[in-house]
Amino acid sequence: MALADKHLVTAIVVTHDGETWLPAVVAALASQTRSINQIVAVDTDSHDASTKLISSARIPFISAPRDCGFGDAVALAVANLPAQIEGSSEWIWLIHDDCAPAPLALEKLLEAIQDRPQVAMVGPKLLGWHDRTHLLEAGISIAGNGARWTGLEILEYDQGQHDGIHDVLSVSTAGALIRRDIFEEIGGFDSNLSLFRDDIDFGWRARVAGHSVIATTEAVVYHAQASATERRQVDVAGAFLHRPLLLDRRNAAYVLLANSSWWILPWLAIQLLGSTMARSAGYLLAKLPGYAADELLAVATLIIRPATIVRARRDRKAKRLVSARVISAYIPPRWSQIRLSTGRIAEAIRAKVLPVSESATSSVLDSLDDEDLLVPTRKYQWRNLLRNPEVIGYLSLALITLVASRNRIGALIGAALPPSPSGARDLWKNYFESWHQVGMGSSHASPPWIALLAIASIFVLGKVPFLITFLFLSAPLLMMWSAQSYLRSFSKNTYITVTASALYALSPVSMASINSGRLATVVVLILAPQVPKILKSWANIENESWRRIYGLSILLAVLNSFTLLTVLATLVIIVIALIRDYRLKLTKSLFLTRIYKRMTLVIAPFVMVAPYSFEALARPARFFAEPGLSIPGGKTNLVLLGNPGGVGSLPWWILSPILLILVVALFTSSSARQVSQYGVGFLSASVLISGFSITVHGNGSQSVVWTGSLLVVVTLSAAAAGVIILDRLRSILIASNIHYRHILAALLLLVTGVYLVMGIGWSIGSGANSPMQSNLKTVMPAFLTAEADTKTLVLREIGATGSKTIQYYIARGGDITLGEPDVAPGQVREIEIAAQELIDGSGISSSQIFAAHGIKYVFVKNPFSRTVIRTIDGLGGFARTSATSAGVVWRVSGVTGRLIFTAKNGTRSILEAGEIGARTTVPGPGSITLTETYDRSWQILENGYRLDRVINEHGLPQFAVTESGEISLIHDGTTRRAWLSLQLISWALIVILALPAGRRKREISEKELA
Amino acid sequence: MKFKSSLILLLVLVLSFSTASVLHVAVKGSDYSQSYSAVVCPPTLNGLNSQISISSRKTQYQRLDNRSSKTIPFNSLRYSVVKDSLVISAQGVTPVVWQSRSGSWAGGTICSGPEASQWFSGGTANVTTKGRLMLANSGLSDAIVDIQTFSENGKQPLKSINLKSKSYMQLSLDSLAPGDKSLAVQIVPRSGRVNAFMIDEQGSGLKALGGDFVNPVASAAKKIVIPAIPNQISKTGQKASSVHTLRIVAPGDVDTSFTLELLTADGRFVPVGFNSRAIVAGVVTEFALTPKLSASSFAVRITSQEPIVASISSTVQIKGHKDFVWSTATAPLTPLTLAVTGLSPLIAFAGDSISVKVETKLVNGKTFASVIKGSDIATWRVPANSRSITIVATSKDTYAGALVSSDNGYGFIPVQAGSVLSKVEIPSSNIRVLNP
Repeated sequence: MALADKHLVTAIVVTHDGETWLPAVVAALASQTRSINQIVAVDTDSHDASTKLISSARIPFISAPRDCGFGDAVALAVANLPAQIEGSSEWIWLIHDDCAPAPLALEKLLEAIQDRPQVAMVGPKLLGWHDRTHLLEAGISIAGNGARWTGLEILEYDQGQHDGIHDVLSVSTAGALIRRDIFEEIGGFDSNLSLFRDDIDFGWRARVAGHSVIATTEAVVYHAQASATERRQVDVAGAFLHRPLLLDRRNAAYVLLANSSWWILPWLAIQLLGSTMARSAGYLLAKLPGYAADELLAVATLIIRPATIVRARRDRKAKRLVSARVISAYIPPRWSQIRLSTGRIAEAIRAKVLPVSESATSSVLDSLDDEDLLVPTRKYQWRNLLRNPEVIGYLSLALITLVASRNRIGALIGAALPPSPSGARDLWKNYFESWHQVGMGSSHASPPWIALLAIASIFVLGKVPFLITFLFLSAPLLMMWSAQSYLRSFSKNTYITVTASALYALSPVSMASINSGRLATVVVLILAPQVPKILKSWANIENESWRRIYGLSILLAVLNSFTLLTVLATLVIIVIALIRDYRLKLTKSLFLTRIYKRMTLVIAPFVMVAPYSFEALARPARFFAEPGLSIPGGKTNLVLLGNPGGVGSLPWWILSPILLILVVALFTSSSARQVSQYGVGFLSASVLISGFSITVHGNGSQSVVWTGSLLVVVTLSAAAAGVIILDRLRSILIASNIHYRHILAALLLLVTGVYLVMGIGWSIGSGANSPMQSNLKTVMPAFLTAEADTKTLVLREIGATGSKTIQYYIARGGDITLGEPDVAPGQVREIEIAAQELIDGSGISSSQIFAAHGIKYVFVKNPFSRTVIRTIDGLGGFARTSATSAGVVWRVSGVTGRLIFTAKNGTRSILEAGEIGARTTVPGPGSITLTETYDRSWQILENGYRLDRVINEHGLPQFAVTESGEISLIHDGTTRRAWLSLQLISWALIVILALPAGRRKREISEKELA
Repeated sequence: MKFKSSLILLLVLVLSFSTASVLHVAVKGSDYSQSYSAVVCPPTLNGLNSQISISSRKTQYQRLDNRSSKTIPFNSLRYSVVKDSLVISAQGVTPVVWQSRSGSWAGGTICSGPEASQWFSGGTANVTTKGRLMLANSGLSDAIVDIQTFSENGKQPLKSINLKSKSYMQLSLDSLAPGDKSLAVQIVPRSGRVNAFMIDEQGSGLKALGGDFVNPVASAAKKIVIPAIPNQISKTGQKASSVHTLRIVAPGDVDTSFTLELLTADGRFVPVGFNSRAIVAGVVTEFALTPKLSASSFAVRITSQEPIVASISSTVQIKGHKDFVWSTATAPLTPLTLAVTGLSPLIAFAGDSISVKVETKLVNGKTFASVIKGSDIATWRVPANSRSITIVATSKDTYAGALVSSDNGYGFIPVQAGSVLSKVEIPSSNIRVLNP
């Protein structure tokens, strides 16, 4: 010590089950370069050998009850000290039983206060107990949300970057040196803070009492943080359930509420509650419900005792000498909290995504002996990039896609793909609303892919048309990437895997699905390769972790959202696996484990897409439906060759090698056989299903089922089998004489090559003119869309020249948009007959039927048969209103609209009607007919009472009105909201279960904690 | 066995394929609704007599202005019409209308369903005309009809007429192209269920010059056949034989040339001056046709480089007064039934090789069949007590027209179906119609 030491230092050691650390602590105290004047220990009824160790070190100790808090223990020790001599400089040095001061610690602490008489409290730099380079603290503060603020990063390495003497709000009590007179003057530690945050509170009170608190980093203390890291039980009074986190959070809130200025209390309360909720959610996501409960209980325990806070504020006010605002300089600004939090999250993600391998880093100490300094440095040749098969493959595919998509630059429409709504808001509306204004209206559950699309559109600022275009344009590349990431597991030969992946992306099912706007199949093509990639061990599924099972469930739920065929496929595979497991005569526990995991893969994804999936049980055709319009698939013989057929598909004469590869692979001895068995199984299912026809999505006639989604698996299996065969075959063929294998291989390569050339040729030729193109045309003329939600019966001739058929549907003031066909209802039989009679000229009552159903106009879209137009002209009840190049429009005679009021005398009038709900006035008693499909959720309220509802002779909801007055028409969406809640809960639950679990602090190793 | 599971899977694939092929529910093609649309007969103008020949007394009809859907039976095989058009549920039998002005003229036409377009090559708009164009709207909605007139002065301005539902109107021919002599008129209904009829009646002062129905053709064509043209040969007491005038127009924008070929009992030949004869587009041109023929009827076939519309006007004398007949082109002969009660027409068949089987139903209900064979032209007189004739079978590219003479005058009736089986596809509901 350079200066004369006039200070009297009393070390107060508080012990509580600290035998693990006490020997080191006692040794550290004994080895101080500046000797301690006296040492007093307070033991809070330790159950271990702590008292023995203290006694053997000849340290006098005072016994305290087990629930005695740290502050009370210190107060007890101070009370037992001799009275302070007037004018002396007496200090108390607080030592935890898990903190060991470095030899120079006390000397440096005293040096720091030498020229600073205003200092009441000085603290050392705290380093980790195990990793003594880990910087724990160098002064502390508290954030507005109650977080303990050190200003350090997680596991920050001490390189002297924070060295110096700093003015701080407070320092940890571990190793803190406090002036005894001030300690006694401001009343010591708050007895309400038995553990945790007592240090911040003390520092805060010292500050407002006009004193100073500093941290000097020259003094070093090694701290194990045993209580905070749950290395020992917290037994102090008030530690509800002995939970450290609960106590910490409760005390943090207490410190803020007791010390802050009164006018910021409301803001603080909001911050505390907000952070509590956020932290609870975070802990729930990390599957730590106990910690989440701690957060909530901490606030609750404080709220139920407001008197404690009031008393604490009164006490502090009495001893405050300066404004409370003096501490504002020490409260961390919000931006630095955000910056630090963001940095921590980014680092966590980086560590997960790009882990630093041990070998990636090299030390400067590594030997450079082997390096020949005369060898010239190798320059990177850009030409080499073009020799990389992956670069060539992806560039070629991108070029082909670009040329083939030359008619698809813009908003896409055509074949199965309806026009996209301009914004994600429309998709959300479609998804959430309980009633859909499509055709005669429907309450069908919207498929979850609408919500997924709406979420995805966030990344393109809600521009749904752009998202759809981007998806279809980038689909081949995404398919190739996805396939390659899976196929890599079969071969290290990049040439083979890249070629196979490119073939997958240029497969018949890929081309057909893109050309015909099949959203579901495109998504399945992209995601399907990830399923076997995630689930590596299907046969021995017990080896897969539950997290992986839930992760795969999420992936399957995404696929289910687009096509419920996935449910059927998964179910069939599981049944086959169960039968096999049963025949293997496994032990009961193993058998059950496999059942649980397998059934999870079908039940969880099924529930996650409820109620859409549950509705499919009532309408099984939905299992075979895909998003968008119901466009027929191809014939069975085409499907057998791996081509789903339908509009935009490859012509029959371009034969893909899929079937050939699968059949060859079936009779190989390699793992290709097993892979091809899946392929042939799915091919059989595809072929069988292609024989069925369904009636879905507002299409009254039957359409052959599109089997594209199943053929994705067939194609992927063929690609995988091909990779396995070729990977092995090359070496075999080189080593052997020419025999049938050579011929077979040549045939396989020839067929594949021919397919590739012809397929690409067709794709950039005729394929580019497939139905799905960027198109700005509309069906409905502008003057018919001017009246919002007006029903118009639209007649059109659809189909190729020579095979056109007359079709019709009810438009609701405009063309359809994405998602609407999926909830479109089937046609009402009465309207079907009326439309039929309208065409054949026998429909004397057609106009009356249309008017009864609220159909205001009949629109015949050109080109159309002149004979039929004349026939409609010849029918009564239709007044031609226009004939333009777009088509001919007739107005249906009679009073019609969405909400028709029929007075007692039979007079009909139209009431104001909104889009779904409406608020309007009825002139008197009578009946109100709502020209929407009957649904029990339709209600009309008048004067607070529900009007009686019946089904009228046209099958429409009709309400009896007894008096004039204001009415409210509503469609009760409670059921839909309940289903959506269930869906949200199921997604949240499965996502949480799939996420990596957090660990309780006691489960974290000492090494990690440092 | 090593490949047992592979073989089983292959078998499953084959079975799936077979099952799908067998069970494949063929997507139902379109369903059709077949019906005979009601035919409309022309109204009876002032001073005219009108009779409709029907094949069955049970045939239902209603007056054009009747707005209800109720119909009543004729209860006779020949029905005299007082004024209005009749709408007849003909059920495949084409009724024939015979109208006449006593001692002046007579003419016939068929009752037919509404047409998308009708061409009338006949009539005049000069001082001699008393002709009328009649438009009937048998639909329950108002109709808009475009009238495009051509004359020797070229294409006239388009006229659009609004016609109320279930009503008819008549227009004087002289209002279409005042002062012009040679008319060709196209009727295009823009909306409505419209039929048009034209009567060309001429007179000079109080002296009647005759009259006739000008029968319509559906469209202009590059090849047309006028199968029945009366040819009165001068006899003792008659001043002159028939004078034939060809009226022809190419309604397109391009001038054309045509070749006219006579199909007669004396053979087939092109008269002098009718080989590649040029005509100006849009201008109605008339050519005198004076063949020296021994037969009482003949046919002509006209071929052109551009679509044309043509008819032949022939003068005749009946009971000492003058009349004229507009012979028009007909559609190729198809199986059909024509009600001919009260008429005994001479049917002329024209074609390179004629072979037509006709079944005649007499008023007493008996039927008999006849086969008419020939080349170029063949004629057959329908027995006087017939109620209908049915063309059962016909050779290809054969055309037929009927010539009827009565005390009041001479007329031409096209032998073609007026009551046509219309096959309408039953529409299906599909939201796809709302997708651009």
